[in-house]
Amino acid sequence: MINNRILDEILGQYPVKVKKNRKKHIVIKDADMDRQEIDANTRTIPGVITNRGCAYAGCKGVVLGPLKDVVHIVHGPVGCGYYAWLTRRNKAKSEDPTKNYMTYCFSTDMQESDIVFGGEKKLTRMIDEVVEVFKPEAVTISATCPVGLIGDDIGQVAKNAHAKYPEVNFTAYSCEGYKGVSQSAGHHIANNGLMQHVIGQGNMEEVPSSFTLNILGEYNIGGDGWEIKQMLEEIGYHIQTVMTGDGSYEELKNAHVSNLNLVQCHRSINYIADMLEIKYGTPWLKVNFIGIDSTIKSLRDMALYFSDQGLMERTEAYIMRELQKVETLLEPYKRICEGKTAFCFVGGSRGHHYQGLYKELGIDTILAGYEFAHRDDYEGREIIDSIKLDADSQNIPNLTVEPDVNRYRVKVSPEKMEELKEKIPLNYYEGMMRSMHEGSIIVDDLNHYETEELIRILKPDIFSSGIKDKYVVQKMGIPTKQLHNYDYSGPYAGFGGAVNFARDIAMSLASPTWNYTVPPWHSKPLLEGKILERVSDNA
Amino acid sequence: MTKQNRVRNVTENPCNMCMPMGAIVPFKGIENAMIIIHGSQGCATYMRRHMAEHFNEPIDVASSSITEQGTIYGGENNLKKGLENVMQLYKPELVGILSTCLAETIGEDLGRTASSFTREQGEGFTARLVPVSTPGYGGGHYEGYIQALYSIVVQLSQKTEKHDRINVFVPHISPADIREIKRILELMEIKYTLLPDISETLDSPYIQPYRRIPAGGTPLQEIEAMPGARATIEFMTMLEDELSPGKYLESEFGVPLYRLPLPMGIEACDELLRVLKKLSSKAVPEVIKKERGRLLDAMVDSHKYNGAGRAAVFAEPEVLYGVTRIMAENGILPAVLATGSKSPALKKLLQSLTADCDEKAIILLDSDFVSIQDHCANRKINLAVGNSDGRFISEQVGIPLVRIGFPIHDRIGGQRILSVGYNGTMMLMDRITNTLLAEKLSSYRQDMYQSLYKYPSAAANDH
Ligand code: SF4
Ligand code: SF4
Repeated sequence: MINNRILDEILGQYPVKVKKNRKKHIVIKDADMDRQEIDANTRTIPGVITNRGCAYAGCKGVVLGPLKDVVHIVHGPVGCGYYAWLTRRNKAKSEDPTKNYMTYCFSTDMQESDIVFGGEKKLTRMIDEVVEVFKPEAVTISATCPVGLIGDDIGQVAKNAHAKYPEVNFTAYSCEGYKGVSQSAGHHIANNGLMQHVIGQGNMEEVPSSFTLNILGEYNIGGDGWEIKQMLEEIGYHIQTVMTGDGSYEELKNAHVSNLNLVQCHRSINYIADMLEIKYGTPWLKVNFIGIDSTIKSLRDMALYFSDQGLMERTEAYIMRELQKVETLLEPYKRICEGKTAFCFVGGSRGHHYQGLYKELGIDTILAGYEFAHRDDYEGREIIDSIKLDADSQNIPNLTVEPDVNRYRVKVSPEKMEELKEKIPLNYYEGMMRSMHEGSIIVDDLNHYETEELIRILKPDIFSSGIKDKYVVQKMGIPTKQLHNYDYSGPYAGFGGAVNFARDIAMSLASPTWNYTVPPWHSKPLLEGKILERVSDNA
Repeated sequence: MTKQNRVRNVTENPCNMCMPMGAIVPFKGIENAMIIIHGSQGCATYMRRHMAEHFNEPIDVASSSITEQGTIYGGENNLKKGLENVMQLYKPELVGILSTCLAETIGEDLGRTASSFTREQGEGFTARLVPVSTPGYGGGHYEGYIQALYSIVVQLSQKTEKHDRINVFVPHISPADIREIKRILELMEIKYTLLPDISETLDSPYIQPYRRIPAGGTPLQEIEAMPGARATIEFMTMLEDELSPGKYLESEFGVPLYRLPLPMGIEACDELLRVLKKLSSKAVPEVIKKERGRLLDAMVDSHKYNGAGRAAVFAEPEVLYGVTRIMAENGILPAVLATGSKSPALKKLLQSLTADCDEKAIILLDSDFVSIQDHCANRKINLAVGNSDGRFISEQVGIPLVRIGFPIHDRIGGQRILSVGYNGTMMLMDRITNTLLAEKLSSYRQDMYQSLYKYPSAAANDH
């Protein structure tokens, strides 16, 4: 168990100011307290090995990148473009493979002369070529660090391009890596751009079916989005668009018609969810399709929102059938997992989402945290108004939208909304801390040093995080599960996904490899070693 | 996509990463060293991610995490704070400080910051800081590697008494390759300082307790003493003199320089052994002789299959040259040779190497994968050799890929791939030959069936 004294010892290794700073990002859960405050979404401390990325990574890498029928141009030196080239495992398939640009990396490859003289011309030339050769319907332009510094006006370039090619949708994103303090700034920038220039561009006016919805904040890592889509379609929903895993411009431009927005990863997408409500009157429902209980709850919440008898029945039938299917499959894995402990440090919502699934397997999450979350992701959405905006957040433009005169529709009456809000998380998400138990530890922006120290003290049985810290942890003898890209596995969402996850975790825990970590010449033989010696003595 | 469907003035599917990425590697090969990248944190994070996935090792690289404010008021403070934290948590003997596009664009002076930081730390501060200017737009990772290696030698080496070691400079090759070169040197009983030595640091064994900075790497004192060496071997034949650490040690301190290609292919290995024999009083030991014999034996075994190979190779210049030599020695046609680097010397070397081939090789400098793919189609390529980014070519046009170089992201063990020395040559050749064989055997029946009976392909597919 961790306590404040041990924590002080760990942080004592830092210079005084750093210690003071980091202390505010670490909370030991005290169930007696009504609310515990944590610092989040503030500047990373230079020189500590953080797992955070940059705004460009959040914008182009996370939110825009998965839109498969869009050509994504990276305006900047070649490195940044290269590094975001299919590095997330967002899967995509297209009916028309010539309209799937996922495996392409387009970079303006700025050279020193472009830095000196500006890169707008080069960008314009690239746009001309891309339009001519690929004939895409939409093009995004993402800026990396040097672009903002040398004053290239990519917004203007996009406007000019649109004047020249009116049939093509151009959007420009000033997501230079130094904006904000992490990927999170980039999510916001991408949300703004898609809201302003993409959603609503389609000419669909009628909703295709009364159970039409959009899934927001689902990036189809390891096929999660497909799993969810299939489940929902089977129950009777119509998915207009998924933002943005396996998503497309084609579908996204008509996202305005839907009757409900589901929000899976709220951190990356809640801006759009809010704006869609204001502009088109579409409420949003926080869902979590990771873990069986969460999936069931999400499905029931959705059915309740639409309050349709048939839908509710189909939902229950589906749940019953799937539960039966997975129960026996999970059994052997649970036996391996039971009683184990986990660290769960991921992104901006998965650190929370996976705790339920761990629990179902009998694994206790003793440390959790986020890489780039905000305070509300830890403490709950109700505290948003009390968050003080610092200079870094203020640098990200806040888009204000108005109700769309033609397309705003009341999807659910205000009275019904109030009634529903009592029962289901409409326009609301709970903070991660609420569901954690007494004495567990919550760390924001965990770095390599703290990772090591906390592992030494808490000795978890499994560590879920990303590729950068994975090898540190494995070298310390702890199995890991990458929850950014799933170590090439997945899907983990829904019922079938839970079984996949259980299998993978059990496999890691039970791998015979761990039996060999102590060499035969080790000076202090373990218990097993002694027994073996005696056996050989007798022989 | 067809050929005319190509974007040409701009880079599409690049073969290149940026300078600071390449510059990390030489610092990772120094004992007890750390690296901080001066810029926004995204660059460092992306680079760590890419290296971790290749080496399957922790890659602790710090960032000065410049934010928007820093771009206006300068990033010096961030860099100093970063250095302070790195010193405190890692206690390195040396810190490489690399710049990025951002740092260079806002005009940061790494050298000045480094010296004022050292001054401020006062007497007890003994760590060496090595700033290297590596703007991402200034070159690719190959250029970054070279720049860092050169800067390390120039900034650290000091006039020293003569000693009996030789200096060995290697380009970016795998930890396994470096272990092989070290083994050969040791078999020849030659004492050496090899830089950068990533053989342990980027391929460290599972040993408890965990060390924050992995063991291994070239000792700082030995780098400082490089000017006293008997000779230098530089496995980089295409370096310009101004960036050659060997040339620097030769002209400044009179250390004799041998520039050799990487020992890939029997001829290049022989060349190395000739030089080592000169530098050692020892005769070539039996083990090495047998290894050469086995390689020859393997070449005899393989040549009949290799004759069918029409290859595209893409890699960093030195490795590209090495792979091409292996192919030329064993009858594989090196038809398309590409690199993301601009190295002009490489082009000449490749031209003369392939002058006698049946078909003229297409040599692409500063290339991207889309150009490579176009040429693959034109030249009826049936084998690709290079890093894992070539998988898109594999996927799209069905050419099998033999993985070598950096990065290898879709297979495990990039750090363990051995391709140098007689042994490594043999192993790479086997991988290549077996890939050709696998292709041949998997389509053999169908091809025969079709060529002999000329049935519609649908019928043939049933078999
Ligand atoms: S190209 Fe420049 S900005 Fe991009 S990752 Fe490399 S150093 Fe950073
Ligand atoms: S921080 Fe800037 S330069 Fe670095 S990867 Fe992000 S956008 Fe590119």
